[in-house]
Amino acid sequence: MATEKPWRDVIKATRLEKNWVTRVEIGPRLIALYDTPSGIYASLALCNHGGADLCDGYFDGHVIECPLHQGAFDVRDGTPVSAPATRVMRVFETRVENGMVQVRI
Amino acid sequence: MSKAIVTPLTQALAEGKLTREELKGFMQRSNGPGLRHLALWVLLLGFTSTLITLAWNSWLIWPAMFAQGVVLVHHFSLQHECVHYTVFRTRWLNDLMGQICGLIIILPHRFFRYEHCDHHTYTQLTGDDPELIPLPRTIGQYLLYLSALPYWRGKFTELFRHAAGRLSAAELRFIPKVEHRAVYRDARRMLAIYAALFLAMALTGWWGLIWYWIIPLFLGEPVMRFVRMTEHVGRPTVAQMSENTRTNLVSAPWRFLCWNMNYHAEHHYVASVPFHALPHLHEKLKDHIFVEPGGYFAAHRDILRQILQDRRQQDAGV
Repeated sequence: MATEKPWRDVIKATRLEKNWVTRVEIGPRLIALYDTPSGIYASLALCNHGGADLCDGYFDGHVIECPLHQGAFDVRDGTPVSAPATRVMRVFETRVENGMVQVRI
Repeated sequence: MSKAIVTPLTQALAEGKLTREELKGFMQRSNGPGLRHLALWVLLLGFTSTLITLAWNSWLIWPAMFAQGVVLVHHFSLQHECVHYTVFRTRWLNDLMGQICGLIIILPHRFFRYEHCDHHTYTQLTGDDPELIPLPRTIGQYLLYLSALPYWRGKFTELFRHAAGRLSAAELRFIPKVEHRAVYRDARRMLAIYAALFLAMALTGWWGLIWYWIIPLFLGEPVMRFVRMTEHVGRPTVAQMSENTRTNLVSAPWRFLCWNMNYHAEHHYVASVPFHALPHLHEKLKDHIFVEPGGYFAAHRDILRQILQDRRQQDAGV
């Protein structure tokens, strides 16, 4: 039987960049946390097209844009919304518990 | 630890040339500046079209068509900004405008987008950068490039190759497989639109589009070749963005026409910065990039000097 992945504390919710993307590290992984009008979302921080750091990209609403080629993803489900991004971005569940942003990873 | 690739932007941030807060500020987008610029653009096109109409039965139609052509070929600059989503905040407006510009200058938007992404990945690296314009070896080669004949030969070959369902080896590298059919479809659609326009002109007997669009486009293209040479040609073929790209300080009319693309090194450093913020980014980065204060003409003097110098060295057997 598959075990559910644990929730991990990553950052205080108050330290998130408002309406923007915040870079955090969870173990060996770089994770991007997105503060959006509909809540907090998380994804791998590196673009699955060219490997650039999405945390240096332009963020607007629910769309994160890669700083290198301007490929873009919907952070809610990882759907690519602009070329050259064509593959779904890996996203993670998030929640806020006692003021801490937690990511299930 | 997973690591991001090193880009000019990550280098600029790491070296303190730019702070994260500054970057965030520069990247902010809105629709206003793009829409205002576009409104003036349409007025300018209306003005140059009027010049053609007024000069219809005289030799003055040729300079009028040239003026129209200079504006038309600068749809490349607007399309280029649309590729980067840096004209409008609303993403679909960039897509729509990019498609329209591509139709006007015969450059399918999707293909250009993929090609241009590779240009940003491998800027000025011989053999890898698909948009690299080599430094001409002779004045003859320089003039031939400026004539735009090699450009059009390449573009039409490319368009018909795609319409025939084929990609070159280089294109196979930068266009993902899931997009191959879409690239072929775009090329066929563009050819079909042009064929339909010519058919409509033949049926109606009104050939105005030839005089307002097609001839001006070909008359104007050498100007775009002249502009495009100034971006990288003659700069070192190395990966360092501070070296391989030239920013040209040009007058306001040129900046208007090229949608601030003259701030080319700044654009390559942070391609997410909207066109209207590039002059501000220039103030921040100007000490870290190569700036040609004399503009396009000084850039060409530099290119010509290098061609002649290479020639002298070849003649001397160096």
